[in-house]
Parts: sequence; C-alpha cells; structure tokens
Amino acid sequence: MTKYVIKRLLGIIPTLLIIITVSFFIVRLAPGGPFDGERNLPETIKRNIEAKYHFDEPLLMQYGRYMFDILRGDLGPSYRYKDHDVNFYIFESLPNSMILGVIAISISVLFGISSGILAAVKQNTWADYLGMAFAIVGISVPLFVIGPVLQYVFAVKLQWVPTSGWYTVDGNWITIILPAITLSAANFGTIARLTRSSMLETLRSDYIRTAKAKGMKSSTILFKHALKGTLLPIVSYLGPAFAGVVTGSVVVESVFRIPGLGKFFVQSSFNRDYTLIVGVVIVYSVILIFMNFIVDILYSLLDPRITYK
Amino acid sequence: MLNKKTEKKPQATNQFNQAVAGNSLTRDAWRRLKKNKMAVISIFIVVIYILLAIAAPILPIYPYDEIVLDHQNLPPSFTQNAGTLLLEKRLADLYTQAWRSGSLEVSEAEEEMLWTWIDANETNKVWDYMLEKGEQMSADGSFTFSATDQRRIERLEEKLMSELKVSIKSLWYTDPISNEREKLSSLTTEQLIDLYLDLSGTDIDTLKDQYTREIEQQLLRGIKDQNPELPDAEYQQMLEREIERLSESRFDSLIKSNILTKITNQIVNDANSHLGQMATDESVLFPVKEEISLNDTISAEVEASRINERIYYLGTDYQGRDMLSRIIYGGQVSIAIGFVGTITSVLIGIILGALAGYLGGKVDYIIMRIVDIMYGLPYMLLVIIAMAIFGRNILNLFFALAIISWLTVSRMVRGQIMSLKNQEFIEAARSMGASTWRIIFKHLVPNSLSVIIVFSTLRIPAFIMTESFLSFLGLGVSAPFASWGSLVGDGVGSMALYPWKLFFPALAMTIFLFAMNFLGDGLRDAFDPQSKNQL
Repeated sequence: MTKYVIKRLLGIIPTLLIIITVSFFIVRLAPGGPFDGERNLPETIKRNIEAKYHFDEPLLMQYGRYMFDILRGDLGPSYRYKDHDVNFYIFESLPNSMILGVIAISISVLFGISSGILAAVKQNTWADYLGMAFAIVGISVPLFVIGPVLQYVFAVKLQWVPTSGWYTVDGNWITIILPAITLSAANFGTIARLTRSSMLETLRSDYIRTAKAKGMKSSTILFKHALKGTLLPIVSYLGPAFAGVVTGSVVVESVFRIPGLGKFFVQSSFNRDYTLIVGVVIVYSVILIFMNFIVDILYSLLDPRITYK
Repeated sequence: MLNKKTEKKPQATNQFNQAVAGNSLTRDAWRRLKKNKMAVISIFIVVIYILLAIAAPILPIYPYDEIVLDHQNLPPSFTQNAGTLLLEKRLADLYTQAWRSGSLEVSEAEEEMLWTWIDANETNKVWDYMLEKGEQMSADGSFTFSATDQRRIERLEEKLMSELKVSIKSLWYTDPISNEREKLSSLTTEQLIDLYLDLSGTDIDTLKDQYTREIEQQLLRGIKDQNPELPDAEYQQMLEREIERLSESRFDSLIKSNILTKITNQIVNDANSHLGQMATDESVLFPVKEEISLNDTISAEVEASRINERIYYLGTDYQGRDMLSRIIYGGQVSIAIGFVGTITSVLIGIILGALAGYLGGKVDYIIMRIVDIMYGLPYMLLVIIAMAIFGRNILNLFFALAIISWLTVSRMVRGQIMSLKNQEFIEAARSMGASTWRIIFKHLVPNSLSVIIVFSTLRIPAFIMTESFLSFLGLGVSAPFASWGSLVGDGVGSMALYPWKLFFPALAMTIFLFAMNFLGDGLRDAFDPQSKNQL
C-alpha cells in the first residue's frame, strides 16, 4: 500500500511538468507580446521593461527561470495588474471557489446517493420516476441554462434571493444557494443514476439474499450490507466529478458574479494576462490531480478485493 | 468456384419446414429500439432539428445577420407585426408620460400600484398597464393626446408605413458598345473604379482617400470583434501589422467590394426614394420587384418589402435580428460542430486505439501513456486558453475540441480490439497473408462498430454542450454568427426585461440535448441489453 501511494505520488510529477510546459509554451506562441498595448515607448524604456520581465533572455532560460520560480511557489508577476503578483490574486479568490465547490459536491453526493437509493428500493414507483426525471434534467441541461433560469425564476420573478452577490462581499449567506444548486446539478444526475443501478445490482446479489434469509431487518441490510458495495462506483466517479465542478465553476461564477478563481480565469483570458492564466491553470491542475489521487486511495481502502502492487 | 455467385443459397428451414431467418445483432437492436417509446420520439425530434438546420437557407425566415436597429428587443408575437409593436411601444411611452405630467388621471389605488412597480424597477409592467388604461380612456373619450403628441403619433405611423427594406437581387453591367450584359461583380477592380468615377463625378484621388480610409476602418472593426476590450493603441498597432501582411490580391478584392458597396448603396437610395412614395400612397402592393438602372451601363433587380410588416414569432435581439432565424442558424452551427467534431474525434480515437490494441508492445505503451497524461490535464481550461490566444473562430474551436476528445474513444476501441484480436477469424485472416492495416480496418474495427456508434451518440450532446459552454463565455462562435450557447449568453444579461432572448434559445437547445441523450441511452440499451439502467 505504502509503495503504491509513493508510486502514485511520483506519477504526479510528469503530469504537472507537462501541464506547466504546455501552458508556458502556448502562452509564448501567442501572437503579440504582452506589452504591445503600451503606447509607443522609447526604445530604452521598452528594453528596460523587457529586462524586468526577462523577455530579453533566450526562451530556454526563461523556461528554466519560470520552473524554478514555480518550485519556490512563486507564480510570477501579473502583466495587467501592477499592484500585486499572481499569487496574491489567486489566494484572494481561491477560497471563494473552494467554498462553492465543496458545497456543490456535498449537495450532489448527498442528494444523489439518497435519491438513487430511494429509486432503487422503490423501483418503478413515482419516487423512482421523479428522482430519475430530475437526474436526466441535471445531465441533459447545461448548467449555463440551469443557472440563468433559476436566477430568473427565484431571483427576478419570485424575489426570494438576490440575483447575485457573495457573502464575503455583502455578508449574505443566502446568495450561495442558487450557484451551489446550479453547480451540483450535473453531478447530482450522474451520481443518482449510478447509485440506482449499482444498488439494484447489489440488492440482487447472493450475500444480500443470505442476509435476508437470516431474517435481518431490511434497514440493517440496506445500510450495513448493501450500501458499502453500492458506493464503489460512486467513489470512482468522484474524480471526473471534481473536474466537472472546476470547469463548471467558470460559468457559474460568471453568471452569479462570484469573485472566485473561475471568474478571474475568464477575465484574464480576455485581458491576455498570460502569467495569470497559466497560474490559474496550474492551481486548478494541482487541485484536480490531488483529488484524483485521494479518490484512488479511498477506493482501495473501501474495496478489500483490490490490491495494489 | 466459378458458379459460386449463380448458385442460390438454400433456404434454412426448421423441422416443420418453416423458413428460419438469421437475426443479426443490428436487426435485433433495432427491434428493441423500436419498443423504446422515448427513443423513437427522440429520433423524430433529432431528424426534425437536422432537417431544419440543413434547410435553413431556403426556409421563409428573415436573414439571421440582418440588423434592423429600429426593431431592437421586440417581444415575440404571432399576430402583431413589428410596426404595430413599435406603435404600441410609443403609445405606452406617451401614456406614461401623460400620467407623469398629470394630464392623464388615474385613481388613487392605481397610482399606488404604479409607484410600487416603479420602486421595484419593473417599468415594463407600468408601460403595459398604462397602454391598456390609456387605450380604454381614449376609446371612451375621457383622455385625448395633446396636439404635439397627436402629431408625433401621426408622423410615426407615416414612417412605419413608408419604411422599406430594399434588397438587391442582382447587379448588371451592360457594355455600351456590344450591348452584352454581365454581372457587375465579374468586372475587374479598375473597370469598377472607372464606372464609379463616372457615376459619382468625384476624382480619383478623393476616391482613393475614401476607400483607403474605409477599408482601414473595416479591418479595425474585424480586429476589435476578434479581440474585444484592448486599449486603442494596441488596436492601432495590430491594424498596422494587418495592413503590412495584406497581399496585393486581397487588397484588390477589398477595394472591389468597397466600390461595389458604394454602388449598391446608391441603388438602394434610389429605390427608396422612388418606391417610398408608392408606399405612402399605397398605389402598389408590397413586396414588389423592380428593375432599376442608375445610368446606361449599370442596372439592378431590386426587391422591396415593408420592413414594419415583419412578424417576429420569437421576438428580436438587441440589434433587431430575428430570434427565430438566429436560433435556427445557431442550431446549424451547434449541430454541425457536434456531429463533425464527434466524427473527427471518433476517427482519431479509432485509429490510435486500434493501433495500440492490435500492435501492443511499445506502440501501445506510448499511446496509452499519452492518453493517461492527457486525462490528467484540465483540458477545458487549456481549450479556453487556446481560444483566448489564437482567436475566436469556428475552425479554431473545432480543432481545439477535436484534439482533446478522442481519449475515451481510443481507450474503448483498444479494449474491444484486444478482446477480438486473438479470435479465430483474425488468425485466419493473418494466415492468409492479410496486412495489418487490412486486419484492423476490415475485420477488427467493423466488429466493434456497434459499441463505437453507441458511444458516439452519447458524445454528440457532450460536444454540443462543450461548444455552447465556450460560446456562452464569449470564447467560441462570435457575431454575426450564432450558436445556441452564444444566444443564451446574449440573453442572460437582459433576462429581467427581455426574457424571450434567454428562454427560446435555451429551450431549443434543451429539447435537442434531451432527445440526443434519450436516443443515446436507447441505443445503448438496444445494443447491449445487459447494460440497462447503467450509466
């Protein structure tokens, strides 16, 4: 097990290296340097600026310098905002995104698993159909449709919640509800369907029949015996679920005007603030890769049948 | 060997001498699919969408990119045309003004209600109410407009009646000597310049100045569309670079289209003044077709229709473009990207997956490591970066999406092929000397096709969603083109006042995605009944 963990941890390094390298070179390939927008500067000033950001060095040297900086945890200066560097902006907006993402994942896991179990236990009843109808809506309708429609119905028409806002800005926790629901919709649908089919399969297996034959209470069978077997495919889905939340948050944060990393990312790709874009991508990648890692470890802990060499 | 083809296969029979027919997997799957009601309905919906998208250019809808600034944000209506809606808008405005200035009196309760609406920022409710109230009061004679307002309304009515939309069907040039007619656009740029100088009476230097300036502006607009929100100085530099890069022939064609636009404008002006009179005294029934000649050499066939007689079933957008045709054309873009993108990514996936699965060894190792590493990338974010840096157009979008979406297909195909490659029929083919290429694409791939088709069907909605996701953020398809995503994105900002701009594209898209998902699920259940209820 320890060996496996170490091997997986070492496997992260090449992926991260590739992400950083690809992002670095995509940005350098871009037509027009980041300072083309400045007014026609005198040659000397231009040279000074380029020297400040090390643009006068050969490309490989710049790459090496960038890598070294990242190893020290420094993502470099922002090309657009002169007051602070990339680290500052990322650490300012990351908590907002994290809170939103964690709430959204919790909603989708909690409601997804419970409605999946309900649908499986009450198969072919109205509870089953209702749950699965919600699930297919979550899967089929893109979140940039769900978000604005929810906003229109609950904020504009019914006026139960404000249209946008965020608790760090106005201290109003209620504003977190709509974005979290929107962000959780797709994962909720997938998890609910996964749970249902997995539960149906488990309920038909021999060990459940044995438990029933021994006269155990049906609630004990359900939650003590069947649930653990049911959860396996859901745990393995959590990796893609995190990825979905990360990309989804880009849209949700734009729609609901949340000062998070995703909104920052879109803004900086419009602004062509290259270091900021690469910085955000690296942060996202690190989060995603570690989430996948944790999910893998969790999986092996849950399922004693799996052994890693 | 020789008579193999002429000899008929004997009919298989059972012990009761009844014909027994084999049942292929596809036929079996089709039978199961037909039983699935949702899947059958979905097939119909998808077919209707595809037909609409293909037939878009010949459908009787208004052009999707025609900007009519007077018709901004008109609500959807099946019965009232644009003119009536505009008149109502103005009347509502005038009644409200009359109420605010005190000449139109309402009861105390109504006054209170109107003010609560205004405080809640729901001015559209106020307008609707005032229109209804005002019409009622004018009908029973308790309110009349002041003379100036009366005149304003009359002038608007007149304008709405007389405004024409002139479109040029064809432009002709008649040679004064040989009397031969040819299309104006087939002339060379020098000839066109000469013609235009003749027509307008300007001298060549002024004209040169004029078109150089106009072309520069046109290029600048293009650059601004591609890269919004940059400082002016940067635009200026980009423009200079762009002009430096322009080739001789491209510049020539720019001049040509510029001159053609000038001539067209003159014809449109001519037709407007000439037909506008007819429109006001209602001497002809619109739409009319006419032949107009500017002078002896240039003539044109024009078609004129009353622009305010248009009916917008789904309303208009912020530039007065018809939502219905934008949704249909947007669907064309979305569906095309969905289908073509899926096919491309599936092809890449099949080739790489088949090679990895069949050849094994080093090839397999390398391809699968690439797939593994790419799986770890936050690819949506990389696509966003690529779109932001390399410019927003449909081709870039398409490439960016196709390059990242072959991963799952290749894994799946690899698995299929690995399970098939040791079977007897492959060994037989190999022993007969079939090449690797032939074995893969003649024997292995066709045998795993059903799995691939099912998977591809489920990929299409995902692809459409991804494309729309980017367009929604403003990183995909850009104006004047539309896709469902960009339409929803346009509608979000103003949904409180103009909800139709959000709902109709969202609805069109949702229905299609539902249908595709149901169809994909149905196909999967049909081809692989064991997988029922799974994801």
